[in-house]
This record gives sequence, C-alpha cells and structure tokens, in this order.
Amino acid sequence: MSSGGDFLSVERLEVGYGTVRAVRGVDVAVSKGEHVTLLGPSGCGKTTTLRAIAGLETPSSGRIVVEGAPVFDAARGVNTPPEKRGFSMVFQSYAIWPHMTVAENVGFGFRVRGIGRAQARPAVERALSLVALSDFADRPASQLSGGQQQRVALARAIAYDTKVVLLDEPLSNLDAQLRIAMRTELSELRRRLGFTAIYVTHDQEEAFALSDRIIVMRAGLIEQQGTPIEIHHAPRTRFVASFLGMTNILDAEIRALAGAKGMAEARLAGDIVLRARDPHANGAAATAGAVGFRPVDVRIEAGVPGPQGGIAGIVTRSLFLGDLAQYHIRSGPIEICAHDRPRAGLTEGAQVSWHVDPENCLVLRE
Amino acid sequence: MSAPGAPLAIGSSGPAHARRTIAAETVVTVGLSALVTVLVMLPMLAVAIGAATETGGLSLRPFLTVLGALRVIGNTVWVGVGTTVLAVGLGGLLALVLARMNTPGRGLLSQLVPLPLYITPLLTAIAWSWLGSPRGGLINLLFRQMLGVESLVNLQSAGGIIFVAGLAYVPLPFLLIGAALRGMDPSLEESARVHGASMAAALRLVTLPLVLPATLGSAILVFVQAMGLFSVPAVLGMPGGFYVAGTEIYRLLNNFPPRVSQAAAWGLLLLVVTAGLVWAQNALLNRRSYVTVTGKAFRPRTLEIGGIRYALAALAWLYVAAAVLLPVATLVWAALVNFITIDPKLMAFDLQHFRYVLLEYPKTYLAMRNSLVLGVAAATCACALGLGIGWVIVRTRSAARSYLDQVSMFPLAMPSMVLALGLLWVYVRTPMLPIYGTIWILLIAYVTHYLPFGVRAGSSALRQLHRELEDAARMTGASWTKTIRWVTFPLSRPTLVAAWTLLFILSMQEISSSILLYTSRTTVLSVAVFDLWEAGNVNALAALSVIQLAITFVALAIFIRARHREVLA
Repeated sequence: MSSGGDFLSVERLEVGYGTVRAVRGVDVAVSKGEHVTLLGPSGCGKTTTLRAIAGLETPSSGRIVVEGAPVFDAARGVNTPPEKRGFSMVFQSYAIWPHMTVAENVGFGFRVRGIGRAQARPAVERALSLVALSDFADRPASQLSGGQQQRVALARAIAYDTKVVLLDEPLSNLDAQLRIAMRTELSELRRRLGFTAIYVTHDQEEAFALSDRIIVMRAGLIEQQGTPIEIHHAPRTRFVASFLGMTNILDAEIRALAGAKGMAEARLAGDIVLRARDPHANGAAATAGAVGFRPVDVRIEAGVPGPQGGIAGIVTRSLFLGDLAQYHIRSGPIEICAHDRPRAGLTEGAQVSWHVDPENCLVLRE
Repeated sequence: MSAPGAPLAIGSSGPAHARRTIAAETVVTVGLSALVTVLVMLPMLAVAIGAATETGGLSLRPFLTVLGALRVIGNTVWVGVGTTVLAVGLGGLLALVLARMNTPGRGLLSQLVPLPLYITPLLTAIAWSWLGSPRGGLINLLFRQMLGVESLVNLQSAGGIIFVAGLAYVPLPFLLIGAALRGMDPSLEESARVHGASMAAALRLVTLPLVLPATLGSAILVFVQAMGLFSVPAVLGMPGGFYVAGTEIYRLLNNFPPRVSQAAAWGLLLLVVTAGLVWAQNALLNRRSYVTVTGKAFRPRTLEIGGIRYALAALAWLYVAAAVLLPVATLVWAALVNFITIDPKLMAFDLQHFRYVLLEYPKTYLAMRNSLVLGVAAATCACALGLGIGWVIVRTRSAARSYLDQVSMFPLAMPSMVLALGLLWVYVRTPMLPIYGTIWILLIAYVTHYLPFGVRAGSSALRQLHRELEDAARMTGASWTKTIRWVTFPLSRPTLVAAWTLLFILSMQEISSSILLYTSRTTVLSVAVFDLWEAGNVNALAALSVIQLAITFVALAIFIRARHREVLA
C-alpha cells in the first residue's frame, strides 16, 4: 500500500501487549494535506494504531515512515520517541494541564524547545484567535468549560510547526449540540490551515463530515477504505454495512441480472425477491450472500400491495420517535425495520405493503 | 503545518531522524529495580545469613538458643497480641462512633484522635512511666497521700506496655477503618434494613464484614510494629527485667562482646512471623470480593443513637486525654518544674532545664542537626523513589512492574529493628563501603523503612493523573524528563507534599533502627532523649522532648497553612 510519494505511511503494523494483539497488520498511507479517519467500534484497534503512529505505543512489528524516513522500524530497531516525530495530538480527555494558563498550555511546545515567551507570543496569539479564545489567554486552564478546553487542545496542536495533527476521538466527551458545532469549526479550521490529519472516531457522522478518506477497522484489521461517499454508498461487508446503520441485513441467494450491469436479484427466505445493486460483483452466477438496506429507504403504503408490486407485511410494533416513527414489519419468515413519517393508520397489526428502490438495496458478499 | 505557506510555522522541525534509542523509561525501570533489590532484599538476606553463622561457620545454635528463650517469646507474643487487640478494638470503635454516629463533637474529635501519630511512643511511654511507676509514679503518690493505699497502678509491666503501645497505635486502625466506613455505599446497609434487619443486625451482618479488609490490614500493621517495638518496652519493661524481642535484640548487641548472631536469629524469627501474617492476610482477602469503594462520592447516613452517644463521646475524650493531653502536659510540666514532686508548695517553675538542654548539654545540637538532615533527606528520597516506582507501576507495561510493586511493600512486614540488624550485618562486613558509623547507614534505614509510604503516595498521585496529560506533553515536543519535571511533578505535588510532611515527622522521631545504628557522632533526637532517660536526667529529658514535639508541630502547622493557601488560590 505504501508508495514512495506518500507523506506518511504505516506498513504491516502490529501492536500487542501480553497475549492480546490489538493491531494485527495494518497498512495506511496518508498524502500531504489529507484528512484520514480511522473509524470503528471500541476495541477495533483504531486508537492503538493512532498512538503507535504518535510513538506513545511501541508496536511489535511493522514500519512507520514519514517523508521517506522511518520513525519506527521493528526490523532495524528504529524507534523515534514521540517528541522527535514532529506530530501533534488532540486527546479524548483534552489533556489540558490544569496548573498552567491557557496561553502556557498553547505555548508549551515553544517552551520545551527553549523558545522565549516573547518570541512565541505571535504564534500563540494567532492559534488562540483561530479557536476564538484570545480573551482567555491568561485564565487558568482549569476554569474553562469542556468545549473551551477542547479548543485549547486544538490551539496547542496547531500552534507549533507540526507535520501531522493526530486526533483521538476529540469530540466524544462533548454533549451532542456542542459536538456538532465543534465539528463544523474543526472542518473550517482545517480548510484554512490545510494541515494533514489522522482522526480516530466511532461516530460515522463525524467521519463522513470531516474526512477525505475513511478507513473502517475491525478487530485489529482494516475492513474497508474509501471516500465518505464510497463507504456510505457501497459498504463491502456485513460488518461495515451494519456499523454504518444498515439495520436490515437479510440472508439471500444472489443471482446476477442479465442485461443490467452491476445489478442483481436477491431471493430471501419465504421466496421474497428484491432487486439490489451489486458494486463488488465477482462474476459468479449464483452465490449465497446477503442484502442490506437502511430503515429510511423503506417505503411503506397502508393496505395490501397494489398492481405496481410491493411486499405484503404486518406491522408488529410501532415506536414514535418524534420526526420519525420506527415500524417493525413482518413478511412471512423475515422481519424488517423501517423509518418513515409518523402516520395515523400504521398501528400494530395493520396490513402494509413495502418496497426498497434497487438503488438503495445493496448486495453484501462477506 | 504541512500546507504551503503554512501560517503558523516558526522553525521547521526537519525530517525525523531515524535513530536507535534506549528509552529513558528502560534505564529508570532497571535502575529502580536494582536499587529496591539492594535496599529491601539485602538486609533480609543478611539477617537470615547472620542468624545461621557463628565465628566457627554455619551453625544452628543461635537459632536454637532463641527458640529456647521461651519467656521472651511469650512476652513478645503477649505484648504484640495485646497491643493489637487494644489498638484495633478501640480504633475501630472510635472510627464507627465518630464516622457513622451522631456523637456530640465528632468533628473536633475526628481531628484529635489521629494526633498520637505525630507523637513518638517513646515520649508517651516516658510520661506514663512518671505517672504510673509503682513507687515514684505521680498517680500512686497522689493516691497514697490522699487515701493511704499502697501503689494503685503499675505501668512498669506487660499491662503497662500494652496500655501505652495500644494507645499509641490507635490512629492507624482509626484512619483505615474510618476511611472504609466513609467510602461504603450506604445503600448496602439500607437494603439490609429494608429486608428486615434491625440497625444492630445490619451493622453486624453487612457493615462489619465489609470493613473486614481494613480491620485485618490495620491489625497486621499494628502487630508488625508491636512485635518489633523497642521504645515502650525499653522504658516500661527493662527496669523491671521484662524483655521482649525488641529490647532483647538491644540487650544482646550491647553485651560485651555483642552477640550479633543471636540478635540476628531474633530478627529472623520476627521476620518469618510477620511475613507469614502478611501472606496469610493476602490469601484470606483474595478469596472473596470486598469491593465496596467505587470512587463515587457517598454520604453515608448517620446512625441516630440514643443517650449512649454521650458515653461514647466521653470514651473518645478519655482516649484523647490518655494518649495526648496527659502525656504532653506531664512532659511540659516536668520541663518547667524545678524538680518532680506532688507537693504544690515545693513546685517552682522556670526555664533552667531548657537553658541546660540548649546551652550546656553537648548532644542537643548534634542530635537536632542530624535529625533535621535525616528527616529532610529521608522524606525527600522516599518520596522521589516513591514517585519513580509509582510511575513504573502505573504508567509502564514493564515486566518489572509487579516485582517493584511487591518488593517495595516488603518493609511493611519488616520491623525496623530487624532492618537495622540486617544493615549492621552488611555494612560492618563491607569495609569498601565505609558507611557504617556514618549518617548514611541511618539514611538507608529510614528510606527503606518509609519506602512503602512513598510508593503508595507516588502511585496514588499518578493514578489520579490522567495519562493523556503526560502524553500531551510528549506530543508537544517535551522529552520524558521534561514531561516529568513540568507536568507530572507539579500535578502530583499536593499528594507528595502531604507524604513528605508525614515522613519528615516520622523520621524526626525514629528510634527503633536508630538505636542500633547510631554512633556518638551520628546520634539523633530520639536517641538523645533515650540517653537522658537511661541517665535518669528527668527534667532535661522533658525539656528535650518538648523541643522535639515543638519541631514536629511546627512542621505540621507549616504544612497545614501551605495547603490551606493552595486550596484558596
């Protein structure tokens, strides 16, 4: 995966402690100015990978190369300490030092390199103004709110010349509203400064909103990578699909559709047939697999199916969620979940007809 | 910044140079492991070897002689068990009464009960020997004069030793059991009440079993100290020919010629017993789960008790009077009165004894200087080592972690006399390390003895410190040493300052190991006090004791004021 032109590349990285192997052979290549996100559930190895890149964990094997020079190489015994790698990092806990002022936190990178306060001041002020905290420079850092602390952490990460900003779930400790606001701010900041970023999160929305490229991880391995749209539109495996909110994943027999390239016919239990996209088609005539679709893509009509088709079902449960209602619908042996506007007639036991546009229905092979 | 024309770039950090590095962490881990091994394992090994050798070579005779001294063994066990039962019983009761019941004055009493921690048992024992010795004791004199009875109390006895040592060690169980009672989830008790238990039954069936680990732990701590106790049996036992292991070791070494092997055999016997107990405690407590302290802030319910609460408060005041007020008042009185008498007409008060101690007694300044130097150095070294070892235990995945964690706790099971014996044996025999007879051997003994406190303080300070605070410093360009200096150390300072103060005060009063290791040039305050006691110079002794107490309480006051300021800031 690594090519000579990559700004930062991680090759066959493995990290283990004791008998646990947290990362089991991961390759990542990042171009200059790119924002790459490691996405996955907790325990998938994403944070360990990031900390290994930072130098805070020592991998058991593999290589990490920055601008052509290895900062870690297990085979050659190279292990550059974190402070010499030229990265900066934003932590989940913010890690703002409570015994320093805001300006001292942001200027720490200058202080440890022996750069005087006066000399560092313009850069510190500039970083603080970028996160709209100029007025807080001389406040003790312990008196800030969570959102402000996160801004200080961000200012600290960009104040000193850095090659890559590493971000470890930086928004996960904020409440929902603040998280969305900070997400926008972060994306704006990166647009202005153009820094290279490696971002770790378990929140798919965050990953979609911020990334140039998303790497989905599972159990210490990379499951799929691509642009946000690619990943959202065409998850390759059941794991990625369900992690990205395709709640309905149903076993099916997949048959390629003659004459329609990239389309397939999926036969579910109970002889229910759906048409589905098959972007990762492998040319085989018929295989066992699955189809997946999101609850919002299910269209529901009250009553029995009309002449245009549709699948007959019975509402087994309906939950009012506010803007949406969640309906569980049983059709023979299968049960699906649908999100639609709340409608009066669709109470439990009601007869409905449902369908999914082939464009929104996806063949999953693994 | 990576973008062209990056606005914030000041200097370019350049390409990261690939290089081999031996992490500073590795050096520190290996160094600390080696140091702890030398400090802790070496004296234990020396005691074992010393006990098995005589001038003629390997021999079992010292050990057999010791096992034959059934009287002293019996005395030691009796004093150890009695002291432990009294200290844990009274300490636990006071903890329950002051932490959980609506006792009048519980706030003030909770501050007063731990005070004996800061007063060495040597002084309490001396004060009580003046009050309760069979013939000249002030209490006996008073009663003889008023009622014409012969001696009423005799504290120069096993009972007297247990009484004074028990009072002196009450604060340990009081603090440990009190913390367990306060940290307990009150819903555990409430659910017992809801399911039909009376208040007494809930206490007996739920609360007390849950504070069992703290009770057992403090009982073992007290027992280890009581088994190796020197000062109290020296003052209250030796005059009447009542010997326990600690005073027996002292007697054997002050014999001419000193019987080192036999003393070492006593040390080994003590070590085996205390180590066995600590092992048994761990085995017992590991079998069941007692995890009740969840880190949540609880406010345990106060138990409303009836009129008995006045009796319990009176008991607490009686304790404070017997362990603190009466002994200190006696010492101050004896330091000021011209000579000891109970006849008010003969009493005259002036500062002549202070004048003598400060201006004429030749050992005062030497002892004071040595004690201050040792107090500062031992507290600093133990805290620094504790922070370093705590760092390895809490922050690294090093294989040395559990070794350091366990070995640095060994001194808790090692009476300080035994430690001193081991050091004597090692350094008398290693002339290339000219440490014997210098202040260094005392420093080594103090640091080893207080190492467990330092490590507990260091590791608990670091556990409270999110590791990302340190990671952030590394990611902002700080080396490991700068991270420790600028982030770890300042943030763990409050905990370390508290530990430092306690260790300084304890060092200022240390006698059990000092009494074996001092020479005329390296005498310390407690030894000087003991010398005056042996010489029978009662008033000078009282004056020096008051000075020693004053230094302790000045240190405590400075610490409390500093912490108060820090909290306000």
